[in-house]
Amino acid sequence: MSGNREGRGRMSRSDTMETVRKGLRSRYAAERRFIWYGRGAIAVALGFLVLLVGSILIKGASVVTQTHIRLTVELPLETFSKNGVVTAESIGAANYVGLVKSSLRDLFPDVSGRRDKRALDSLISSGAPYELRDHVLANPELVGQSIDIWLSASDDIDMLDKGYIDRDIDSTGRRVTDKQIGWYDKLIADGRLERQFNTTFFTSGDSREPEQAGIWGAALGSFYTLMVTLLLAFPLGVTTAVYLEEFAPKNKWTDLIEVNINNLAAVPSIIFGLLGLAVFLNIIGLPRSAPLAGGVVLALMTLPTIIIAGRAALKAVPPSIREAALGVGASRLQTVTHHVLPLAMPGMLTGSIIGMAQALGETAPLLMIGMVAFIVDLPGGPLDPATVLPVQVYIWADSPERAFVERTSAGIIVLLLFLVVMNLSAVMLRKRFERRW
Amino acid sequence: MIYWIALAALAATWLFSWKLGQGQARAIIAGGQRMHSLPGHYGSYSALWAVVPALMVLLIWSIFQPMVIDGMIVASLPQDKQALDDLFLNALVNDIRNMSVGNAVRDADDPVVIEAASLLGDWQMTSNILLAVLIAALVILGLVISRRQIAPELRARNRVERFVMVLLIMSSTIAVITTVGIVMSLLYESIEFFRRVPFYEFLFGLHWSPQTALRADQVGGSGSFGAIPIFMGTLLISTIALAIAAPIGLFSAIYMAEFSSPRARAVIKPLLEILAGVPTVVYGFFAALLVAPLLRDSGAALGIGIDSESALAAGLVMGVMIIPFVSSLSDDVITAVPRSLREGSYGLGATRAETIRQVIVPAALPGIVGALLLAASRAIGETMIVVMAAGLTANLTANPFEAVTTVTVQIVTLLTGDQEFDSAKTLSAFALGLLLFVVTLALNVLALRIVRKYREKYD
Amino acid sequence: MIKKVVLAASVAMVFAGAAHARDQIQIVGSSTVFPFSTAVAEAFGQKTGFATPVVESTGSGGGMKLFCAGVGTGHPDITNASRRIKSSEVELCAKNGVADITEVKVGYDGIVIANAIEAPAYDLSLRDLYLALAKDIPTEDGKWIPNPNKTWKDVNASLPAVKIEVLGPPPTSGTRDAFVELAMEGGCKTFGWVKDLKKKDKNAYKTGCHTVREDGGYVDAGENDNLMVQKLTSNPDALAIFGFSFLDQNADKVKGATVGGVAPEFELIADGSYPVSRALFFYVKQAHIGVVPGIEEYVAEFTSEAAWGNEGYLTDKGLIPMSDAERAEWSASAKGNAKLSM
Repeated sequence: MSGNREGRGRMSRSDTMETVRKGLRSRYAAERRFIWYGRGAIAVALGFLVLLVGSILIKGASVVTQTHIRLTVELPLETFSKNGVVTAESIGAANYVGLVKSSLRDLFPDVSGRRDKRALDSLISSGAPYELRDHVLANPELVGQSIDIWLSASDDIDMLDKGYIDRDIDSTGRRVTDKQIGWYDKLIADGRLERQFNTTFFTSGDSREPEQAGIWGAALGSFYTLMVTLLLAFPLGVTTAVYLEEFAPKNKWTDLIEVNINNLAAVPSIIFGLLGLAVFLNIIGLPRSAPLAGGVVLALMTLPTIIIAGRAALKAVPPSIREAALGVGASRLQTVTHHVLPLAMPGMLTGSIIGMAQALGETAPLLMIGMVAFIVDLPGGPLDPATVLPVQVYIWADSPERAFVERTSAGIIVLLLFLVVMNLSAVMLRKRFERRW
Repeated sequence: MIYWIALAALAATWLFSWKLGQGQARAIIAGGQRMHSLPGHYGSYSALWAVVPALMVLLIWSIFQPMVIDGMIVASLPQDKQALDDLFLNALVNDIRNMSVGNAVRDADDPVVIEAASLLGDWQMTSNILLAVLIAALVILGLVISRRQIAPELRARNRVERFVMVLLIMSSTIAVITTVGIVMSLLYESIEFFRRVPFYEFLFGLHWSPQTALRADQVGGSGSFGAIPIFMGTLLISTIALAIAAPIGLFSAIYMAEFSSPRARAVIKPLLEILAGVPTVVYGFFAALLVAPLLRDSGAALGIGIDSESALAAGLVMGVMIIPFVSSLSDDVITAVPRSLREGSYGLGATRAETIRQVIVPAALPGIVGALLLAASRAIGETMIVVMAAGLTANLTANPFEAVTTVTVQIVTLLTGDQEFDSAKTLSAFALGLLLFVVTLALNVLALRIVRKYREKYD
Repeated sequence: MIKKVVLAASVAMVFAGAAHARDQIQIVGSSTVFPFSTAVAEAFGQKTGFATPVVESTGSGGGMKLFCAGVGTGHPDITNASRRIKSSEVELCAKNGVADITEVKVGYDGIVIANAIEAPAYDLSLRDLYLALAKDIPTEDGKWIPNPNKTWKDVNASLPAVKIEVLGPPPTSGTRDAFVELAMEGGCKTFGWVKDLKKKDKNAYKTGCHTVREDGGYVDAGENDNLMVQKLTSNPDALAIFGFSFLDQNADKVKGATVGGVAPEFELIADGSYPVSRALFFYVKQAHIGVVPGIEEYVAEFTSEAAWGNEGYLTDKGLIPMSDAERAEWSASAKGNAKLSM
């Protein structure tokens, strides 16, 4: 509060404080604004995520259940025996289509006429006879009895039951006729129709009938493919990053290599597919449609990502760490393996995970090497024909049947689950290694 | 199967011989002598000798064994079967192989097949025994050699390190060769293309309509190969994408690294990374069915004509997709900025925001630029979103409300379906790929320069 | 060091692949036949003990290319096509040792021009379609002029005054080939002097009749027909060209325009009165019969009444069956492994 003693050029202390305070106020405001920008950015990004995942979840969640119809099926001895003997072979050869149809018609004895009978038959899945066959094969003692069994309803009935088909609109544009709706209502009234847990979807391979189609085949295919990719790309990528960053001489050539690798991320992925077709299928002779070939192609694609991220992570390790290690007499290799690499690991893992996630979601290069295919049988190893999750999604998205819409979304959810599991394991790894300095 | 067992055995051998070498070295030290290297190095040295030669033999064996045995099987078949043409001979050998492992085969009761299958079984057994003996011999030999060599003056560490270095160089050579190979193949096909279409027409032409007729009886597009419109399309969409992703990603990264609690960060970061993992097909649907109609309708409400396949829709959604590339990688480099810098800045009285703006971001700039570049290249190379949400017809415009097509979309449409590797149509896909490569190359070189110039080495 | 072992293992796996046997049928080819082919493949796998065939959708031309690349387990056994094999492709096959091919016609597919269910119904003639979608159109006095039509009303006064916006398959697709040949050329021929031109200057005729406009009236919309259906529902002004089975499955969302007064309905396509329909085929490599197990049985399943008959499961998938006589003929020639001759 003292006056201006030193001279005219200087501000009073109170003025100084005032300026500082004012400045502080605006600086704090800037700080708050800054924080809010950050929060806003994260909120926007997460908002997109919620929107995306939410819309998929809403569409795909209904796949968890599947409409089934309870039929009472007679299993007469003569149908299942050959020359009076019941064997596994004679059970397998029985006419299950006829059995299922006749037991369905028994429920509606007053249906007559070819057209109506056909409409009635189409209530039940065309895969239902095989469900019955598998059931009888597993329980041969049922032959000669009359059994109650829950069989899959057709996709149209399933869609009707789940409310995707509007029963109130004019019947000309509707997949289900008025008569079929009448039968459907009667089945419900009789307690013969209900939704059960959809085991098929989680345990079987692809099918042309939506109610018989499953994601498990594609999940296995993705697993084998990613294993091959990981085994090839991760060790190669990390060693290359280490060599280029820590040991290689810094000259025009290594610059060129660095730039070249950085650039590969911009080569459209379908080009890698072409290369895979030319080199791995036609020259080396890997089997078509096999996860092995797919994995190798995807490894080529992820390699640059892993190398770039690996080098960035190594660059981020402060030189003082290296100098300290070298100073106490460690060799260059010891410095790298004992000190630099452990510190750079979190970054390398981040890059690898992003690369693997990219590989997990990739469709285009697999197009060229035959993995965009209809494959029913579950793959037993990396050499069996298989498809992968995103390709399965792509195939289902292009199928005309309405029930595949639900399955497309459900396939995406499964894919995302894979991704979350991968990310979680990476986060845990990262947490163990991460450190600030 | 036998190979997996052999691999497991070799892994065990590794541990055993390591212990052996280390033990020997320890014993010498206990005897009062000074060793050149640490006992562990002698362990590694001994393990390398024991395992590496055996591993090589295993590899070579696994490659050549089936070929040799197939040849022997064929030679053992009766003359009339040997005379079959290759296709049927292969089928027969397949059957024999299937039979010997117990799979169902077509001609299960053909005596020739049965006999050959049992022969095959015998030979495979013999081969396996031979392999086992050979590997065991090599392991023992290796152990003996290393045992004799281990002595106080043996420079085990240097030798082991030299081996590791060779390994490093080899693997990076493989990686570099494949990456160079990809570029070379692009280059080769592009040269083929430029033999058909003049370079300047491709580079400066303003009209793109490559779908020429493949067959004599088909009529396609007019067959002009001017790449400018589609490059403008790529540029437009990528710019929109970066305009979305750069601020959101960067601010998210800064917030996560500097402001949020570690726990929140541990949740948010992987959550954001999910955005990068959502299959691009899904983004495509999202863009085509949700964003594009929304934009069109809101545009109509405002009196702006927005195409239903506008560049804006595709760019927006692509921007969302590449957010994690910016956020995760930038977060990593920001976290890696030495703490001393932060503390120095705080000590001078700077607020956190000022520290970030004036100290941390400049320090982390090379990494941030790298992250942005990775995101940009991802945007330029992205395919499915634009295939589904943007158009296929080339349209030279800078208006984000109009439909444009991109380089990748054109590459996909040129390469899927009918292709003819001697027509300019299919080859132009490679020329596009190459041009894309060159453009990003230029971008990268520029970025490298910038980073070199402004990078500040702290610490 | 674990890395090294792993690397060696993966290399070993790579080479082990070369000696792997194949016991399932491989099918490639048209995306239009894909839904039918897969349905048969699945039924075949369930009914017989054979492994379910692997079916790839590569497009007709791509399929032919793979099919004709050679003989041996590395090459596919069957290719589907939404058009007949071309003589150039037969030559390519012969050059690579694929000499004997069996041709099987499986049925028909209608190409529909559809729009959203709540949009006005269109009654189009082939001439309307041509005038709306051609790049250059003929005038009455014998010249070609760039297509001036902007709205449907410009094409035909009885049509609504809506901007022409037709989503359709890209030129790589067999559907596009068929549409151009059947619809566009059909409309083009209604100009008397153009019809005469066909004899005089075939190239000029084709260029005029087959070239689709590139100024935005026709939008290449990729090969995903479901996406097209959804784009239609979100844009009531647009029309789209796709296969009948997608209309059949989505009849509550989109409706087909009548072409030449004929609606795209199952019976009308089957009896040939709907003008824009085409035949579908598949081709079998005879050299593989007896090498890859199950090929003959697969063909038998495809040509059985239960599959491709009037009431067969393929009609549920949208296949338009052939007449009884035609089916009997093709089924006999398929069973006898008749050789294709052009």
